[in-house]
Amino acid sequence: MADIVGVNGQREDFRVVGKHNLPGKLSYALATGIAKFGMDYVLPNMLHAKFLRCPYANAKIVKLDTTKARALPGVVDIVTWEDEDIKKLGQNPFGPPSRPYLDNWGDQEGAEVGCIVVAEDEDICEEALRLLDIEWEVLGHVVDTLKGREDDAPVVRQVQEPKDMFSPPPAKEKKGNVSYAVTTQGDIEKGFAEADHIIEYKLMLPAFASHMPNPPASVAWWEKNPYHGEEPDLHIEGAVQRRENIGRMYGVSNEKTIQEGLFQGGKYCDWGMRKSQEITPLLAKRTGRPVRCANTREETFDFLMNERFMYLKVGFTKDGLITAIDDFSVADNGVYGSSSFGAANDQGYGPYYTFKCPNIRQQMDVVDTNRGKMYLSGQHCPFNWDSGTMAIYLIAEKLGKDPIDIALLNVHGPDSQEDNTVTPSFAACIEAGKKMMNWNWHPAGTKKLEDGRMHGASFRYQICPRHAFSGYDCKLELRNGVVHLPTQGPCTGIFAVECNAMVVAEELGLEYEDIAIDFDFREKFTPVGGGSDGSTASSWAMKECANILKQKILESAIKQADNPPPPGMFGFGGPKKENPLKGHKPEDLDIINGNVCLKDDPSQGIPLAEATSENIFATYSGRPPAAIWTLGMGKKLDTMNTVYCEVAVDTDTGEVEILRFGAVADPGKVLRPTSLESQIDQVLYFSQGCQLLEEFVYDEKTGVRLNNNMIDYKKPTTLDVPHIDKQYLETRAGNAAYGASGISHSMANTHAVIIAIHNAIGVWVDPPATPDKILKALGKA
Amino acid sequence: MTDAKDMTFTLETAHVKVSEMIGAIPTTLSEYRCPLCGKIFGSYADIKQHYAVEHVGAIPPTTVVLNLNGKNCEVLIEPHWTLKRTLQFRLGLTGAKHMCDKGVCGSCTVIMDGRAVLSCQMLAVECEGHAIQTVEGIAADPKWKPLVDAYCRWDAMQCGYCTPGFLVSAKALLDKNPNPTEQEIKEALSGNICICGTYPRHAQAILEAVERMSEGAVTNG
Repeated sequence: MADIVGVNGQREDFRVVGKHNLPGKLSYALATGIAKFGMDYVLPNMLHAKFLRCPYANAKIVKLDTTKARALPGVVDIVTWEDEDIKKLGQNPFGPPSRPYLDNWGDQEGAEVGCIVVAEDEDICEEALRLLDIEWEVLGHVVDTLKGREDDAPVVRQVQEPKDMFSPPPAKEKKGNVSYAVTTQGDIEKGFAEADHIIEYKLMLPAFASHMPNPPASVAWWEKNPYHGEEPDLHIEGAVQRRENIGRMYGVSNEKTIQEGLFQGGKYCDWGMRKSQEITPLLAKRTGRPVRCANTREETFDFLMNERFMYLKVGFTKDGLITAIDDFSVADNGVYGSSSFGAANDQGYGPYYTFKCPNIRQQMDVVDTNRGKMYLSGQHCPFNWDSGTMAIYLIAEKLGKDPIDIALLNVHGPDSQEDNTVTPSFAACIEAGKKMMNWNWHPAGTKKLEDGRMHGASFRYQICPRHAFSGYDCKLELRNGVVHLPTQGPCTGIFAVECNAMVVAEELGLEYEDIAIDFDFREKFTPVGGGSDGSTASSWAMKECANILKQKILESAIKQADNPPPPGMFGFGGPKKENPLKGHKPEDLDIINGNVCLKDDPSQGIPLAEATSENIFATYSGRPPAAIWTLGMGKKLDTMNTVYCEVAVDTDTGEVEILRFGAVADPGKVLRPTSLESQIDQVLYFSQGCQLLEEFVYDEKTGVRLNNNMIDYKKPTTLDVPHIDKQYLETRAGNAAYGASGISHSMANTHAVIIAIHNAIGVWVDPPATPDKILKALGKA
Repeated sequence: MTDAKDMTFTLETAHVKVSEMIGAIPTTLSEYRCPLCGKIFGSYADIKQHYAVEHVGAIPPTTVVLNLNGKNCEVLIEPHWTLKRTLQFRLGLTGAKHMCDKGVCGSCTVIMDGRAVLSCQMLAVECEGHAIQTVEGIAADPKWKPLVDAYCRWDAMQCGYCTPGFLVSAKALLDKNPNPTEQEIKEALSGNICICGTYPRHAQAILEAVERMSEGAVTNG
């Protein structure tokens, strides 16, 4: 709770932190096209590679003949799953036997399967792939998650998948495609017996896809460096942040794995590497030339966030206090190698544990499918939150009360589910939000706007989670009078190193522009570990490091003042004026506005660059105190946020217009407001897309995707997005730098708009709430 | 290759860098590389002869002169190559980004004869004789420094992948309408998709740039 163990965690005066419009250190490279992403690399004499992609939702290659493809002019190499070089890849000698890097089984349409072609250009690769003689064995598939759990559904896993940390806790033996998870707290039967009312409802949390702006790609080459011995160095670009892993795949040490690129692009929940980003070193080694392998946009639809069907039963008293929650969900577990993180693992945290209700049961069927891969779909944690948002709304509707009052009644205080106080951050967010929105709740279907459309509104809360639990190895250097912050990056679009630099400048009495950020892939420090919550956590560690550097600078300044270096040869520069720091102690000094000066009389000082000529390093390895998210999983609360949505629904056309979004967020302390605002825009527009536009469509008969392109899979444009009113609170209750937490993806939601639509028209429409669905729900289509 | 250490640009150093990048693009071809087998020849006649002998029936590459950022550049391409592909693989300019490859997202936007066009949908052979401006050319023109600067001051980017496409669309708008309203900006940028959702930032940046450019015009005038 609050930054009370870190140095200056309770600082009240801020010169740099909180300042608007400080350009990102890499922004000029990005805006002008200088920045290179994996897709952008072109090397002399470079070859291109393409994987064979499975045309079926689930199939095996029985026979593959590459003769005709190999004969095509421009084809340089063809590698198949039976090649010894391929068999050696991706094998973990210490873990359970895992699926080979490439095999003859394609478990989603478009999966890399069986074969890679290397040629002079991509057109030749594609032509060669068409010339392959392939005999397929088409297997049964599942692209309908609900049907996948039925007894007669085809079992889609061809090999047993090893358990990982994200596997669901086994409630009972896996059956067919289905793994089971159960989490229980209290006594739900007793809870329902205490209830005056019981409501049952269901939510459909839809699948979303293509959250990566930049399709994945890599280029690799091998180059001898006389200083690194006989074996050549591996250069791999386009796999930012996975340098060490890829080096390990090929038995190359960290020192000899070179990756200079910084620009990772957006990785919104899609944190896995694609095979195109891993295979190029092998192909470059075999051909002796640089090799590029890139995914097309269509191929990038191989990742999606798992859809989930939730069935809920909630008991509550006549006042609206929840006494029991029974949640049964069916979640898509995707193809082999997917992560269940966003499904089974958020049973341990979520909306229910922010309620005072002691009686909670969560059961989940996690279904293997051929829909796509889910690498680390943690974004669904905040989505799952909407089951609680719905409960509050439905209770309010049932009792004719304002949902905000129902939330205030049910959400517990900071310390535990038994804490009957109101969490200060929550109360502050609600007070500010009601004022900002002129909140005036009305029952569903009762408010008509002057233009004849129906008005609806919704309210939602979340915790501002600092869920980052990473440790950070920070280093700062004073060199030739300039403070350097060395980091490996990367640049992921969260402006994390900028936050770090602002905190360092704050602590050292300097300006943001004074801090030189040195990007070097060999450096240890990386501020990643979540989005803004990772930024605030890494900034906490960097704050400690800055204060260590400051102490060393002050000690050095005294040393130099008391024992100045001899005058330059031949007396150049003339006599130096008296050093005002002479005769003082380090504890008498401070750094203010770039000058090392006396605390008691800041006018007595000299510029930092003159105060010491020493090369000074400071390091700090550590992490901020554990985030309450990791300790309490919703059972403890500190910083919170609230979201509001107002819609107008045209009941003749089914069109929905979001009139206004509102966001009141308490990130504890705002470090970099410009990017915080942008992050809130992103998460609400992202949520808008999920609820009104985006839908992932399969042909059930063939299992083939029907809209894996940006024409048919709709994302919001600048003409679609509404204005967002925002307000930030600074309760300093988080435990990262200066009491910050972060917003990260906590405002992402699937039902703020959906609930507002219900409030407008009184009927439920599953996302995406397209006009045809609205009209159907209204009985007009 | 540009080293990561060199990526922390200021407005001024970015301007110098893109100017150097454009300056380094050769104006004439010095070698002719066979796209099918990689063999290199000294003249176009030689590569045509090579096709006639070794790749019988295949369509030989062609030479095109592109007027790019005010400079005529000769390139050897296959007839079906898009302008986007040519910019990246022949001219080393990667500000026009590969994203949807369907003419939907605007990430590959360039300006041709004063009009914003999608380079993934233009055949390079069609572009001969037309004035093409890429984001690098805009960034190398001192007139547009306020626009680049405003984009960076307002974080009109998160991951930054689509940003050059937006900036090109913004410049195309300002060429035609130096004093746009917020709604006109939204309409002009509606062909650019930002998955990071930075949309409101662009209007803020463009409006600030307009103000600074008009102040500059008054000062310079």
